[in-house]
Amino acid sequence: MRHSEIIEIKAASRSSVTLFFEDDTDILPGQFLMIWAPGVGEIPISLSHTGKRKGITIKPYGKTSSFLCSLKKGDRIYFRGPYGRPFSVESGRRLIIGGGTGLASLYSLIDSESTVISSARTADELLFRNNFKCKRNIEVTDDGSAGIKGFPVDALRSINPDSHAVAYICGPEMMMYSVYNYLKDFNLELQFSLERMMKCGIGICDSCSIGGFQLCRDGPTFFKDEIPLLVEFGITRTTESGRRYSMK
Amino acid sequence: MPDISVTVAGIKFRNPLLLASGILDENGYTIKRILDEGAGGAVTKSIGTDERSGYFPPVVVPLDDGLLNAVGLPNPGIKEFGSEMKIALEAGKPVIGSVFASNSEDFLNLCSAMESYGAYAVELNLSCPHVKGFGSEVGSDPDLVEEIIHSLKSKIRIPVFAKLSPNVTDINQIAEAASECDAFVLINTVRGMSIDITARKPVLSNRVGGLSGRAVKPVGIRAVWDVFENFDKPIFGVGGIENAQDVVEYFMAGASAVQIGTAIHSQGRGVFRKIESELADFMEAEGFNSMVEMRGLAH
Repeated sequence: MRHSEIIEIKAASRSSVTLFFEDDTDILPGQFLMIWAPGVGEIPISLSHTGKRKGITIKPYGKTSSFLCSLKKGDRIYFRGPYGRPFSVESGRRLIIGGGTGLASLYSLIDSESTVISSARTADELLFRNNFKCKRNIEVTDDGSAGIKGFPVDALRSINPDSHAVAYICGPEMMMYSVYNYLKDFNLELQFSLERMMKCGIGICDSCSIGGFQLCRDGPTFFKDEIPLLVEFGITRTTESGRRYSMK
Repeated sequence: MPDISVTVAGIKFRNPLLLASGILDENGYTIKRILDEGAGGAVTKSIGTDERSGYFPPVVVPLDDGLLNAVGLPNPGIKEFGSEMKIALEAGKPVIGSVFASNSEDFLNLCSAMESYGAYAVELNLSCPHVKGFGSEVGSDPDLVEEIIHSLKSKIRIPVFAKLSPNVTDINQIAEAASECDAFVLINTVRGMSIDITARKPVLSNRVGGLSGRAVKPVGIRAVWDVFENFDKPIFGVGGIENAQDVVEYFMAGASAVQIGTAIHSQGRGVFRKIESELADFMEAEGFNSMVEMRGLAH
């Protein structure tokens, strides 16, 4: 297990924070670290900021993420990794679609030519709001408190997807499922970063598997033509015990 | 071309390389993929009577020469597992149902269910080193082991395999108690611990876990050797197998087939195909025509 000192903490939305630390390891967009809070727990987190100065953006969901959100500048974070297949960084104009904290793993891919669709339940939950430069930012909220009231797929109807070379998508699985179904017949390449219950992070425990692929090792990023092989995508998933349930 | 198929307890495996219990074998689609990608057979994650979530992460510590894990027997419960078995069996290869319980009545119910799901055999987990009341706590009590296997053998038609723990003084004593089984599975993980010295805490949430991988291979070889010397029964060798040389070493100690788990961490799911082809090359070079010719050859 490695560790680093937290050098800065910034709010990323009303409830999310970004913890910054320095580490020499090369970590690419889409890869993740298993972050350990000693005596509390361990969770996978994709990096929002790659490079020597690294950042992880966290929202308090469970006990480990809540603990990490309570850390202060100067505290240590412990981690192993990086793990997972990174995004393939393509040339050409990018369409970035992030739902909730899903935008964190896409943040380092945003450039001045990108179209960014950022969505959240409410305006104050929009991640990195007014904190990135892009060609066009379309905000979407469940309650209509900012931008379009609805889901990312509603925002897609207002743009021409094929004016982009590639779309990078991360967020809740049902959001990605609807985005996949909407975009699959366009010409642009699609790359998804999926999320499932993950325990080991190294491809052995089977918790995060989807259609026989290990999300932590074969993914978490998957290309458009790989999605049909993930026969469980948007259909069923398993709990931490391995019990299968329908997502519909 | 040498024949690398094996028949153990009446079950024919196209190659002697089975997926070991506990690694990538909870989700039916994963088991099916591993079988499609080259494993000769697969043993499921250990399934109990009731749903269990397992331990909170960290559940694994990657080490230089193996893995330390305490996943905590997560499983959806036997009733829910039938649908996973159905998916796994679509691969058309032998799937062995691993089960854990604390008494013979529960073992019987679990094994009956596995039999009805189409399992080719059942493997009794008498050896998980990190869950209270199950696994090695059951497997270190010779009278209980004898009672469990005796009751199963009169009521279950499919073969019964006994997976034993290396965390005992004399493995032959437990093997003797389990000797009504159709095959031994040797070994489960070796009990161990890991502490992070900068955090000043054990890494695993359960503190104690089981060591697997390269580091435990000599322990497995020795267990297979000892049990082969004393019992006329098939043996699945398990522990630290990463290449064809390791498979042959287990066979020469007395194994009839092997199971592979931790090597998937270092080499991915392709490890089965890789070893399969290395094995054929080794046999050709050394003049072996079948796997059974190598069994116990070092004795």
